[in-house]
Amino acid sequence: MPEKAFNLTREMLDHSFAETVAPDREKLLTCIQCGTCTASCPTAYAMDYTPRQLWRLVQVGLREDALHSRTFWLCTNCYSCSIRCPRGIALTETMGALKRLAIAEGVQGKEKENVSGFYRAFMATVRRHGRNYEPEFLLRYFFNTNLLGLVGQAPLGLAMWLKGRISLSPSEIRGKAELETIFRKSLAVEREKEEGR
Amino acid sequence: MNYTYFPGCSLEKTAYDYDVSARAVMQALDSELVELPDWNCCGATGAEVISHLLSIALPARNLAKAQQIGDQIVTTCSSCYFNLFRVNAHLAADAEIQEELDAVLGEVGLHYDGKLRVRHLLELMVTDIGVKAIARRVQRPLNGIRVAPYYGCLVVRPYAEFDGPDLPTSMDRLLTTLGANVVPYVMKTRCCGGVLMTTQKNIGLKLVGDILSPIRDVDCVVTVCPLCQLNLEAYQREVGGKLGESVHIPVLYFTQLIGLAFGLPEQDLKLKASLVGTQKLMKRLGQLSA
Repeated sequence: MPEKAFNLTREMLDHSFAETVAPDREKLLTCIQCGTCTASCPTAYAMDYTPRQLWRLVQVGLREDALHSRTFWLCTNCYSCSIRCPRGIALTETMGALKRLAIAEGVQGKEKENVSGFYRAFMATVRRHGRNYEPEFLLRYFFNTNLLGLVGQAPLGLAMWLKGRISLSPSEIRGKAELETIFRKSLAVEREKEEGR
Repeated sequence: MNYTYFPGCSLEKTAYDYDVSARAVMQALDSELVELPDWNCCGATGAEVISHLLSIALPARNLAKAQQIGDQIVTTCSSCYFNLFRVNAHLAADAEIQEELDAVLGEVGLHYDGKLRVRHLLELMVTDIGVKAIARRVQRPLNGIRVAPYYGCLVVRPYAEFDGPDLPTSMDRLLTTLGANVVPYVMKTRCCGGVLMTTQKNIGLKLVGDILSPIRDVDCVVTVCPLCQLNLEAYQREVGGKLGESVHIPVLYFTQLIGLAFGLPEQDLKLKASLVGTQKLMKRLGQLSA
C-alpha cells in the first residue's frame, strides 16, 4: 500500500500532541522509523496506519489523523513492539493513552464504539460488583453495540454453561463501598490534574 | 509454605479448572495457596482505557491488603500478573503517580508503596519449588505425549521477570520433566488476540489460526492464562473453517498437566471442563503407558 502523502502546513500541526499522549514524550521523539514495531505487531495487517506510521503522525503533531486512526483500537496490548523497540519507547502504553484521548475527545467511529463500548461495559460491571460477572458484562456490551452479536455468542455461552464455566450469580466483594471510593477518587484526581494543565 | 493467592475473576468460574488444579498441585507439593480476602478485579485491559490512575489504584487495593499479610502475592492469570506487577513498575518510575495513589488509597485507609513481590504461579513452580522437586513427585509420567507450550504475552512481556520475552523456556522445562514431548514452537508467545475475539472476531480468528496451524498434530496445547485458554479452545470450529482443515486440540493449563503426572484424581484436575474434550488425549496417554 503506498503511503499517504501529506501537504503539511503549520496550522495542521499540534506540537504539544506528543506530550499529551506519550508517557515518555522525549523518547517518542527519538523514534527512527525503523518499523520494528510494525513487523512485531500481530494486528498491523488490519490497521489503516501501521504502528510506525502512527508514531510519525504523533511526532509531527498530526493530531486529527492520529486520533481518527483505527490503529490503536486494534492494539491487543501484547507488548511485542515495546520490548523490541531499539529506542525503548513505551509504545503499548502510548496506544492506551491514545484510546483514552480519543474517548475523551468524543472521536466517532465503528472501532471506537466497539472497543470502548466493550471496556465501558466491563468496567461498569466491575464497579457494581467488585469483580467481573461475565453474563452481565456481555449483556451490557452487546446491548449497547450490536444485539445480533449476542445471538452469535449464544452457542458458546451454552457450551460453557454445560461445562460449569458460566456463573448465574455474581461474586460480590464486601468492600464495595471502598471500591466505589477508589473509582470516584481516581477519576476526580485525574480530572483535577487535567484542569490544572 | 503458604502463599497469598490472587485468583482473579476468570478463575472463579470460566477457568475454575485452572483454580482447582493449581490449588491441588500446590498442595501435593506441600504448599498452600491462601486466597487474599475480599480481593477485587485487577482492571484487566479495561481500566487503563477509562483512566490511567484507576488502572494503578484498582490492583493497588489488592497489593495493599496483601502487604498486610506477607511480602509476596502469587497469581495464576497472566493479565492479573501483569496488572499487579505494573503497579510496582509505575511506582518505581514515577513519583507523581505515587502521590496520586496515596491520595486515592488514603481515602479508604490503605497505603501501598510498591514493595510487594508479585509472582506468577509458573515462576513459583520453576524457581521456588523447582523442577527437581516436581520431578520427584511424578507418579504417572506423561510418556511422550506431544505438547505445545503456549505462553502468550503478559506472563513474559513486558516485564520478563523470570523468563525471556520472545522465546521463553520455563514451561518447556517443566513439561519435559513431567515426561511430555515438548515440540519446538515458534508461535509460543504470539498474541491470542485478547479481547479482539469478542470485539473484532475476524481478526481474533486469524490470530488464533496463526497460532494453532503449525501444531495441529499435537496431543494438547498447554497454557498459563485463562483468556489465552478460552481464545485458543473455544473458537476452533470457526478457525478450522478459515484454515480449511479441522482443528481439534485440547487446550489445558500447565497445572492440569502437572496434576496428571502426579496421578491426581479428576476432582483435582477438572479435565471435564475442556470444551474440546480430553478423551483422545487420555486414550493416547493410556496407550503410551501400556
